[in-house]
Amino acid sequence: MNILIAARLAFSRILATKTRSGLTMLGIIIGVMSLIALVSVAQGATSGIQDQFKGLGARNLNITGTTSTSLTIDDAREIEKEPGIEIVSETVSGRATLSSNQASTRAQIVGVDSDYKSVVDPDIFVGSFLPDVETASDARLIVLSTTLATDLELDAFSIGSTIAVGSTEFTIVGILDDADGFGTRGTAYIPLETAFKYVAVPPYLSSITVQTINEEIVPEVTANLTALLKARHNITGEREADFVITDASQLLDAIGTVQQFLSLLLGGIASISLVVGGIGIMNIMLVSVRERTREIGIRRAIGAQQSQILTQFLIEAIVLSLVGGIIGVIIGEIVAYFLAQLGEWNFVLSPSMILASLGFSMFVGVVFGVWPARTASKLKPVEALRFE
Amino acid sequence: MSTVVEMLNVTKTFGEGSSIVKALDGVDIRIEKGEFVAIVGASGSGKSTMMNLIGCLDRPTTGLVKVAGEDLSNLNDKKLTSLRNYAIGFVFQSFFLLPKTDALDNVATPLFYRGVPAKEARKKAMEMLSKLGMADRYTHQSTELSGGQQQRVAIARALVTQPSLILADEPTGALDSTTGKQVMDLFENLNREGITIVLITHDLEIAKRAKRRITLKDGKIINDERGAA
Ligand SMILES: Nc1ncnc2c1ncn2[C@@H]1O[C@H](COP(=O)(O)OP(=O)(O)OP(=O)(O)O)[C@@H](O)[C@H]1O
Ligand SMILES: [Mg+2]
Repeated sequence: MNILIAARLAFSRILATKTRSGLTMLGIIIGVMSLIALVSVAQGATSGIQDQFKGLGARNLNITGTTSTSLTIDDAREIEKEPGIEIVSETVSGRATLSSNQASTRAQIVGVDSDYKSVVDPDIFVGSFLPDVETASDARLIVLSTTLATDLELDAFSIGSTIAVGSTEFTIVGILDDADGFGTRGTAYIPLETAFKYVAVPPYLSSITVQTINEEIVPEVTANLTALLKARHNITGEREADFVITDASQLLDAIGTVQQFLSLLLGGIASISLVVGGIGIMNIMLVSVRERTREIGIRRAIGAQQSQILTQFLIEAIVLSLVGGIIGVIIGEIVAYFLAQLGEWNFVLSPSMILASLGFSMFVGVVFGVWPARTASKLKPVEALRFE
Repeated sequence: MSTVVEMLNVTKTFGEGSSIVKALDGVDIRIEKGEFVAIVGASGSGKSTMMNLIGCLDRPTTGLVKVAGEDLSNLNDKKLTSLRNYAIGFVFQSFFLLPKTDALDNVATPLFYRGVPAKEARKKAMEMLSKLGMADRYTHQSTELSGGQQQRVAIARALVTQPSLILADEPTGALDSTTGKQVMDLFENLNREGITIVLITHDLEIAKRAKRRITLKDGKIINDERGAA
């Protein structure tokens, strides 16, 4: 008997006993459904975060000093001379009290040079980011984050009005959109030169941001800059460097790891339910083999080989689990779609995930179908025929 | 004439120790091609045990059983199964049609197991159903057929493989007397065409229609008579 006939037999049995087959498949359906839905949640939720971070620039390197006097303007000048670098932006930071007419709060004040805009590309809510200012000028201009503006009880019409940084008056030129907030919450920005006057001490920088000419060169530039700064800071041998260089790829890697971990965790949980579903199939198949003992006896009498009985029952288990898997995939994708709508991430139909789920449910069918099928094939024809 | 079944000093025992049962005890028979044999005997006399041996469903405890020239003791399960498929056509008391399977596929199944392509197997099955007057019922499942009709489908299934012999265990046992007679008419016709038939029965009226009657008692043959009774 060829596989086709066995498969047809299995399908007609499943159709003939719809309720029981449905109940038998239920475990697999739920297992595959949760597998698809949970993994899509893990991937959807984290890919959203990943996309946000990608926007930060995969070409960017950030150098921060481990002490407030680690990095200097001269370091930045030397870094500019290195190959493969497009832009070098310097920042300093300090803390100060900000006061509006209504309220006051302590905040982090970051002094940024004119290149900062093009490297970081901050999102403006109203107004504009800091304009290019003359070197050594005393432009008392300030950009606030939405959070700070709220804390200071300022509204969108406050552009052009003044607030005090410490005791000095600054003019508000813009308010940042914190929505995709990446370290900007609670921060105010002023020009670098101005910052050196009021909140920081020259020539020390708190960080240097470097934009490379392309993404591929990032590791190489990281190595160069590490060597350069170590030499400039007289750090030799085992001594720990007084600066840290990070790039977006490390962040993206970390998020990728989280995504993988989440997928594995949720997928693993769902797989357990798939295995439970498989045990369900095995149970019903064992009952079914008992009930059909006489049928098996008849088949053996009229010439079915043990292997053919085995194939018949194995295919029945596989068809059950595969049909269950297909139903589970369909429901799972529908659930994933609605979860994506709810969580506002992109719904992605992943063919490899679907294939893997179907493959896995088939595998479960084989594993848990073997025992019942073997039991069926090992029945003695004479005894099976006598079975009532 | 060629010998279809040969039994030499066959015993078959069940159980062991004090609970041992000798179901067959020194049986010798030969059944030639074209014979029509009835095996009769009281309940527990060993008829079904003998049929299981002739039907290649079981092996003897001692002695020699040859079916279609093959010594059963030399055959493994696989060969024994093939021998059943090729040499024997079974007809059972309770018909034993396959559930959830229409008449056509019931008849075609022995050919499926033999590896005959589905289309060809169904064509042969259809021819056999026609021969037994069941062509118009080929889509019916057993639950949609009367007892007599089910037995006709079962006989078609037994015949479709062109076996060396038809082995029937109480084939009329579950039928009313009229339908039972029709089935016996059918067997007589088939036998006239040259098909070897071995049937087991309690019913002496039925046994009388066979050309040879073998009577069992306590696992021994006590009578073997030929010719119409
Ligand atoms: N599988 C078995 N295990 C144990 N004893 C058995 C088995 N099969 C048959 N026997 C015994 O062997 C003897 C012969 O049984 P068998 O079934 O051949 O009788 P029978 O002539 O077919 O009877 P009936 O007319 O009631 O069907 C009986 O005593 C029965 O109890
Ligand atoms: Mg019996």
